[in-house]
Amino acid sequence: MAREQQLTKVFVEVADSLIDDFDLIDFLQRLSERCVELLDVAACGVLLADEHDVLQVLAASDEDTRLLELFALQYDQGPCVECYRSGRPRTNIDLADPNASQAWPQFTPAALQSGFLSTNAIPMRLRGRVIGALGLFQTRDSTLSDADTALAQALADVATIAILQQRTLAHSETERGQLQYALTSRIVLEQVKGILAERWQVTPDEAFAAFRAYARSHHHQLSHLARLIADGEFDTDQIPRSPRHR
Amino acid sequence: MISDGMAEVLRLLQRDEGFDAAADVAVLAAVTLGVTGLTVSLATGGDRAELMWCTDEAAGSFEDLQFTLGEGPGPEAVRGDAMVLVPDLALVRPERWPALSVEAAGLAARAVFCFPMGIGAIRVGVLTLVRRTAGPLTDGQVGDAQVLAHALAGRALGSVVPGPNGAAPADSADALLHAVVHQATGMVSVQLDVSLPQALLRLRAHAYSSGRPLTDVSRDVVARRLRLDLNGNGDGNPLPVSDKD
Repeated sequence: MAREQQLTKVFVEVADSLIDDFDLIDFLQRLSERCVELLDVAACGVLLADEHDVLQVLAASDEDTRLLELFALQYDQGPCVECYRSGRPRTNIDLADPNASQAWPQFTPAALQSGFLSTNAIPMRLRGRVIGALGLFQTRDSTLSDADTALAQALADVATIAILQQRTLAHSETERGQLQYALTSRIVLEQVKGILAERWQVTPDEAFAAFRAYARSHHHQLSHLARLIADGEFDTDQIPRSPRHR
Repeated sequence: MISDGMAEVLRLLQRDEGFDAAADVAVLAAVTLGVTGLTVSLATGGDRAELMWCTDEAAGSFEDLQFTLGEGPGPEAVRGDAMVLVPDLALVRPERWPALSVEAAGLAARAVFCFPMGIGAIRVGVLTLVRRTAGPLTDGQVGDAQVLAHALAGRALGSVVPGPNGAAPADSADALLHAVVHQATGMVSVQLDVSLPQALLRLRAHAYSSGRPLTDVSRDVVARRLRLDLNGNGDGNPLPVSDKD
């Protein structure tokens, strides 16, 4: 598909989601997948700062625990942390460059070990404040052009808008409240991955795949369904354990 | 970034010098947050809440009232998993909290700010700040209050409060920020057929007794290299553990 067509698809998806009741984590995950396609990168993650100024993964293009842990490693070091602190994008960072392993001694080898050659971090900004970062990884020797970076920034802005848009309560919800709700939703999802993994004797990744397939096909919001499961208010036997992957 | 005042509150909280000291810490927290008083209510299952902190009668009365009526910013924060900030109670439309709007008129609370305490689906309680005068919290005060609520949640779940600037002991509330710990909590809750907070306590007890970081223990649980038994012990690792519950 030509990039223009892909972009059109993304805009339609975004518009559809934001005018309706949508699930933030699911939306951000789809957005991460689109980032991978549009920017021709191998992996993408959306990281949001919590109340301790620690970056937490809200969603990633691939829910593989290994990738999530790589993003999570950036809680105190890595390009996303620097991008979050400076508010400026960091693009085309060569992970094989000795400077990279010197600057981020834990993050860099872990990223290389996962097969990534370079990485990028794009700030998520909200009215002059930085609230998180978009992390992009490449496995091939390719660079992001200025146009790619501008597009990545636009997608990061869409992610920010989505976070603020997720729950339009009738009351005076604050932006910080929205951020808090987003982070809490993600934690509930991780707890539920564990619950389902143990009930079904599968890995958390497999449990999540089955859970998400069920939620999507039954038009449940991921976060809402996760909450019901965590509270013991949903019979998880209703969820088929081996979803069709294709 | 948390303020110096809140860093001091967290430091005192960590020292944990008994009930009287806790009362002083609560008062200091209220001063730091620029409010008249505050309460910390712990969810004890069902709709009942237990007051852990209460700096003064006005704050206590307000807390009692909203939990008796089952409506107000506190219950709303707990149910909605997000803070509820009310800079001026007089400006709240009566239909939002009908009973509270009638009853609260006689109380010395003009601004109320509620911060849920919890970790994902684990709801621990709520931190409520009360001020006699109207007006919003500053952005810094909101951040401080969030950090305090998290520290209190970790404490209620048997953990150590993180030090200022993220400096923390090996087994700390910081560990409660890792996805693998949340996954392991979910798994243990099913293995032992206990609630999520109890599962987290078992994990913590095991980490403590085996002298390993909570994140490492959690990774082993998720990879199924470790399975906790009903006493919180791992297979082939029969260390005696005295469980609190």
